[in-house]
Amino acid sequence: MIEKGKIWKFSGVILIVYVIIAGLLIPLKSGIESVEPSYGNAGETLKIQVTGYNTHFKEAGNSLRAWLKWDNGKAIAASEMVALDERRMNLTFSIPNNLPEDTEVQAVTLLIDSETDGTSVLPSAIFLTQTEKVLATEEVPWVKPEDFSNNGQITFPFRNILGETIRNTYFHVPLWFGMMFLFLFAVIHSIKYLRKGDAESDLKAEAYTQTGIFYGLLGLITGALWAKNTWGAYWSWDIKQNMTVVALLIYAAYFILRASFEDPEKRARVCAAYGIFAFSTLIPLIYVIPRLTDSLHPGSGGNPAFGSQDLDNTMRMVFYPAVIGFTLFGFWLSSLQFRYLRLQKLREDLD
Amino acid sequence: MKDLHFILLLLRKEFLLEFRTRSAISGIFLYVISTLFVVYETFVKIQPNVWNTLFWIILLFVAVNAMVKSFVQEKGNRVLYYYSLLNPSHVLIAKIVYNTLLLLVLSLLIWGLFIFFGDNPVKDMGLFLLILFLGSFGFSVTFTFLASLVAASNQSSTLLAVLSFPLIIPIILMLVKISAHALRLIQDTAVSGDLAILVAIDLLLCGVALLLFPFIWRD
Repeated sequence: MIEKGKIWKFSGVILIVYVIIAGLLIPLKSGIESVEPSYGNAGETLKIQVTGYNTHFKEAGNSLRAWLKWDNGKAIAASEMVALDERRMNLTFSIPNNLPEDTEVQAVTLLIDSETDGTSVLPSAIFLTQTEKVLATEEVPWVKPEDFSNNGQITFPFRNILGETIRNTYFHVPLWFGMMFLFLFAVIHSIKYLRKGDAESDLKAEAYTQTGIFYGLLGLITGALWAKNTWGAYWSWDIKQNMTVVALLIYAAYFILRASFEDPEKRARVCAAYGIFAFSTLIPLIYVIPRLTDSLHPGSGGNPAFGSQDLDNTMRMVFYPAVIGFTLFGFWLSSLQFRYLRLQKLREDLD
Repeated sequence: MKDLHFILLLLRKEFLLEFRTRSAISGIFLYVISTLFVVYETFVKIQPNVWNTLFWIILLFVAVNAMVKSFVQEKGNRVLYYYSLLNPSHVLIAKIVYNTLLLLVLSLLIWGLFIFFGDNPVKDMGLFLLILFLGSFGFSVTFTFLASLVAASNQSSTLLAVLSFPLIIPIILMLVKISAHALRLIQDTAVSGDLAILVAIDLLLCGVALLLFPFIWRD
């Protein structure tokens, strides 16, 4: 049987394995990738071609329904639907002469529902232009989209720009959480050292800081790859990216400081003090400054806050285990690193 | 009351030492003047947004050079004497106050030279003076504390720059943002909130430094 003290290590590994399997294998929910053309005029018969993602238009057959919906809730149903293949479909809408809103250009949402795929939504799919108000009253067959089908499959949500990269949520974000926990533990051990003067606490603080930097670098790399695929560049000079580099520089300086002492007792004392001081600047750096400026990250600059809209229940089932798993794994790495440092120190003492 | 007495005594000692060995302080003043001269010689005309960044960057470098010697004198037998006599917090507070005043004077000198060589882009004098003080205080806290670490390691001044530049970034970002408002480069509606954050960062660092300094001092 597994020793009691090792259970947390095993659970960390099992959680990470679960996260990799579930996070990479669960399919994305079907969605609407693009609509061509994406504009039209009032009063015309609008024919559009929809490209879906993970959709089964052919298989859905008669259960397929589609609507164009205005922000005020009014909607019209598609008058004709022709599925070209599983991913492409032609839709025809009779746009009314009098559009329901007052502005000249109005954005409408496209909704597609079928028994095989469930409901897909593309906000602002089509922009409709109404140059003049047609006063003659007309009978518009307004409908209310309802009776949405639920295909009962376990899926991750489809978000237009993110696509499959949404899975990075289980790696990029938990790595940051893990890094913060590791730095927190490094500080706790630094405080412990200053209070008790125990040499092992100093080594532990060093080990936690090393693993923390490792996690930070991994978080930076996963973030850069994600940014390349969604924002278009590895580095966008986003405030959170910059502050992260600063945080890593602060901890890199920690090791330069360590290297500049010969007396181990003095080194431990000064580095513990620096570690605590550095951690206290991390709080404004990571939690205050990024909130003051625009950022491409969720949660700032008008982007939705992380957690409220970005995670659905299926994602939560993977995300929370990922946070716990990566944190536990980080602690395991740190304890291995600590044992290595302790052996190294023993050898130095023997020499 | 007794604390204040000790701090004032130590502060007086700092001023006296500085006054007796005038070479260090005149070196810093000369450093400021020659930097400014080089800047204007190369830039010729400085746009207000460049001015804003340049001002704080120059102050940053001046601060590193002025602060690095903060604890050089506290070495050997003298530190033993101080140690048996004084409370470490008093020592640190006196150093921070002294360095804040020094930096305030230096920043006013930089500002004055900027006006002398070019013109004055600052529109809101009161606000700018306020952040000069808050900036000097924040720089002084960070550099004084880190100088005490560097002094313990017998290392060169590069180490102070390596340690302090990343740590100073939250303060300098806030300073540049608020001073952009004082120069009317941007219309900052939340300037009081930003000032509050700057004060909070300053006080946080000051508190942590005061807590940690006794451990460095105990040598």
